[in-house]
Parts: sequence; C-alpha cells; structure tokens
Amino acid sequence: MTAQLRAELLKVRSTRTTIGLVLGMGALVLLFIVLTTSLTGAREISSVDDQISVFAIGSFSGLFSALAGILLVTGEFRFGTIRPTLLFTPRRDRVIGSKAAAAFVAGLVFGVLGAALAVGVGTAILSGRGIEITPSGSDFALLAVGTVAGAALWGTIGVGLGAVVRNQVGAIIGLLAWGFVIENLLFALAPSEGRFTPGEAQNALMGQGDAHLLDPLPAAAVLVAWTVAAAVAGAVMTMRRDVD
Amino acid sequence: MLPCVTAPPASSDATGTVVSIEGLTKRFGSITAVNELTFSLAPGTITGFLGPNGAGKTTTLRVLLGLAAPTGGRALVFGRAYADVADPALRIGAVLEATDFHPGRSGRDHLRTLSQAARLPDSRVDEVLRVVELEGAARRRVKGYSLGMRQRLGLASALLGDPELLVLDEPANGLDPEGVRWLREFLRRFAREGRTVLVSSHVLAEVAQTVDNVVIINRGRLVIAAPLAELTARLGGGVRVRSPQLPELGRALDAAGITAQTNGAGVLHVHGTTSDRVGEIAAAAGVVLHELAPQDSSLEEVFLDLTSEEPA
Repeated sequence: MTAQLRAELLKVRSTRTTIGLVLGMGALVLLFIVLTTSLTGAREISSVDDQISVFAIGSFSGLFSALAGILLVTGEFRFGTIRPTLLFTPRRDRVIGSKAAAAFVAGLVFGVLGAALAVGVGTAILSGRGIEITPSGSDFALLAVGTVAGAALWGTIGVGLGAVVRNQVGAIIGLLAWGFVIENLLFALAPSEGRFTPGEAQNALMGQGDAHLLDPLPAAAVLVAWTVAAAVAGAVMTMRRDVD
Repeated sequence: MLPCVTAPPASSDATGTVVSIEGLTKRFGSITAVNELTFSLAPGTITGFLGPNGAGKTTTLRVLLGLAAPTGGRALVFGRAYADVADPALRIGAVLEATDFHPGRSGRDHLRTLSQAARLPDSRVDEVLRVVELEGAARRRVKGYSLGMRQRLGLASALLGDPELLVLDEPANGLDPEGVRWLREFLRRFAREGRTVLVSSHVLAEVAQTVDNVVIINRGRLVIAAPLAELTARLGGGVRVRSPQLPELGRALDAAGITAQTNGAGVLHVHGTTSDRVGEIAAAAGVVLHELAPQDSSLEEVFLDLTSEEPA
C-alpha cells in the first residue's frame, strides 16, 4: 500500500494539474471573500452566524480537491496510464485505495489553504472596516476542522466518483450538478433529508448556523460514510470492469 | 527490501512454459473477439503474434495481462493468472499502447510513478532511460515527444523491473526504419539472455527478421502456431507453369512424387520443388511449356493467404 501511495502522490505532484487547481481555488476563494467582506453592509455581517457563513467560503477547497480526486482517476483512463498502472499493481483495490488516500492528503492541503485564505483575508478586511470579529476561538476551530476535513474527504469522494464514472467530463459534470444543483434543491425542498447530503453535512461540520443542519458530530459521521461509500463503490467497480 | 534489478532472469516455473493460453475465449456482447485460442511460449524465444487488425491479438494480450477477464478458458503467465503473480513488474514487462502517458508529465516522472509502485530505485529509472536512449529528453514533458520517443518510453517502462518476459503490442507502429532496426536488435539481445518475447504485429514483414516462432490468429481463432522456419518451408516457394498439355505434365509430376494444383485456367502451381526440376520432368515427358516461373512467394503472401477471409 505504501509503495502505491507514494506513486499516487507523485502522480498528484508531477503534472501542473494540481497546482492549477490550487491556484484556481485560491483565486475563487479570494474573489468571494474580498467581495463579501468588502461589500456586505456592516449590520448583515456582524453576528457569529453571519461571519462563520462568510468564512465558510474556504470550503470551496472541497470542490477543487474533489476535482483533483476525479482527475487522479479519470486522467488515467483518459491518457491510458491506467494500463501501465495496473500492469505494475494488478491489485485494483490497492490502486483505488492508494488514490483515495493520496487525494485525501492533497485535500488536506487544499483545505488548509482555503481556510487560511478565507479566514485570514476575511478577518483582515472586516477589522479594517472596524467591524468586530464575533466568532470565538472554538467557532474558528470548528470552522477550520470542517473546512480542512471536508476538503480531504471530498478528495476521496472525487476518486470514488471518478472510478465509477471513468469518463472525465462526465464525472466533473456529475460533481458540479450534484454540488451546485441537486444538493441545494434537496436541502431547500426537503431539509430533513437534504441535510444528509455530503455538502450539507460539511456545512454542519463547519458550524454553520442553519437550524436544519445536523449537529457537527453526526455530520462528520455522515460525511465519512459518504466518503467510504464512494471509495468502496469506486474500488468495486474498478475490480469488476475490464480496462480497454 | 529492494529487489535485485540486475540479476539474470530466473528460469520459469516448473511447467517450463512462460505463457500458456488455454482455450481462451473473450466475448464482448454478441461479438466473440477471441475464440477458444490455445498456444504457449517456451522460455528464451521470440514469438510473433500475428493477425490482421481486429483478429483478437490485443484482446488476448489484455486478458493475459490481467486487464480484462476471460469469458472462458485461461491465460497464464508463469503458470498463474497475471494478478496472482508476485511482483509482476519484476517478471513481466509489457506495452499495450504506445501513447499511455500523461502529456504534462515528464518521461522520467512517468517512469518514477511506476518504479515507486514496484519499489525500484530512481537509479533504475535512469538506467532504462539510457537503454532506450532517452536520457536527453527525460525531464521534458511527454507532450513534446515524437511517436518514436513515446514508443521507446513505453519500452523503458516495460524494462523497469528487468523482466523475464516482454509483451509488446504492435511496437513497430510509428517507428521509422532506423527505429525498427533498433527495436529488432534490442529484442534479439533480450532473447539471447534467455528471456522470452511476445510481440504482436499485423505486418509479418515487420517481425519476420526477428522472431523464432509465429502464432497467427484470425477472427479470434488460431490459424497456425509454428516455428517461422517451418512456416517458410511448408508454404513458401513454388513454381508457376503454363502449358497446353497440363494433364500430361500433371501425370509426369505425380509420377515423380511432386504435388501440383491447377487453377483451371491453364496454369499449374507446383510445390516443394524447383523450376529446374519441373523443366527436366517436362522435357522427359515431352510436354510443351509456355511459361516456367519460380514463385518467390513471400512470407507476406503466405500471411495474407492464411489470414484472408474464409467463406462463411
């Protein structure tokens, strides 16, 4: 496992894909955090819940780490490197498991950067406007854990999704449709069910103040369950199907 | 624990066969790509795996290498299914497609992603890069490689584990004549060390100067598996004769124990002899000849003949 994990981490590092995703995430988080903290009226951005929901912009890192996870698998099918990969490591569960772990590690980096950017830049701008930073240290701690752990778990979810779908464009569209449309619709229309989606579970884990959300601890369990389910599904589907 | 990468290859398993394909069948829906195929490879030989495009060569290799599951039968390397071979990269090197690289990754990093999975040191990566003469381009992204360079990078990946068996699918595709010659010499050196090569091609001429044995398949079925020399002797050559007295000539040849076939248009194809001998027999029998031509029936014609569409 460790040898394959090293190989997968090298795959993550040895193309410009990952750094591109990191830069893209940084730019997006920066844009949103600067806009919201600069333009929102002081009254609407003073409460703990208001400020936490703004600093939660760092959770965009989860989207990008999921993309990195998807690309780590679908790139192999797109460029054919899955063949040499499986020739060297015919144990496909080990390959997918190592990819899941590598994407988790990459996700930690995405999450730390995303959380640091959102909280660092956001608090600086709010303080500059003379607005008091209201969340406590433990609020920030929960936010950081939720952002970073969420990004790491999303990386693994991306690997599972990529291994099930295989087609790069299809997997990416699936992720975006799920994250931006389906989850939001579900949560808006049926919050008691929608709160069990991975994205809403992460919102809960970050300590967002929506009454419909789960408590952080069960939310963490839900997010982990989604992650394990995605990774197992990816491994099983990879073991069952032929490789062209 | 670092496996030794320079030791000579160990002998194959107790059965003595490196590869054994046993009644292998692979279906995709209603299409039967490989149909009860059986052949085996002995150690230290170069075998050409031949057939027209779509004959089932790549499918057979994919099953052999564990990428696809057989519908029926077995495909074994060193007596085991590929997935059950311990440290397969150290025993089997294979290239299925010449283009299996991430274009944005350097050639050296591509090899390192594989060598790390097999617990091989980076020094081994640099060794194989020297073997395939890619040291100069090793740190450039594969995007800028020519097809010939990609072929050699693929070969380098197959050599990483210093394998006993090399399986190459259409390795000469896209190589210039220089590259083909390089590959040929490389494979000969490799086999001289007692290792085994299975190399597929849809063009017999590409491998005719390299291989010891041929396995020819068509429409998923075995056509012939034999030493190349035997194939040449059995099917090559012949003499074309045109004569107004074919029945007489046929009888004379028959009396001399020589087989001949007529195409019904006044032409006789005589096998297993020379034009000199046919001329002598015709003279002795007083047969008039209008044409007496030794046929340089090339291996390629034999191949086309063997793999041409049979009437359904």
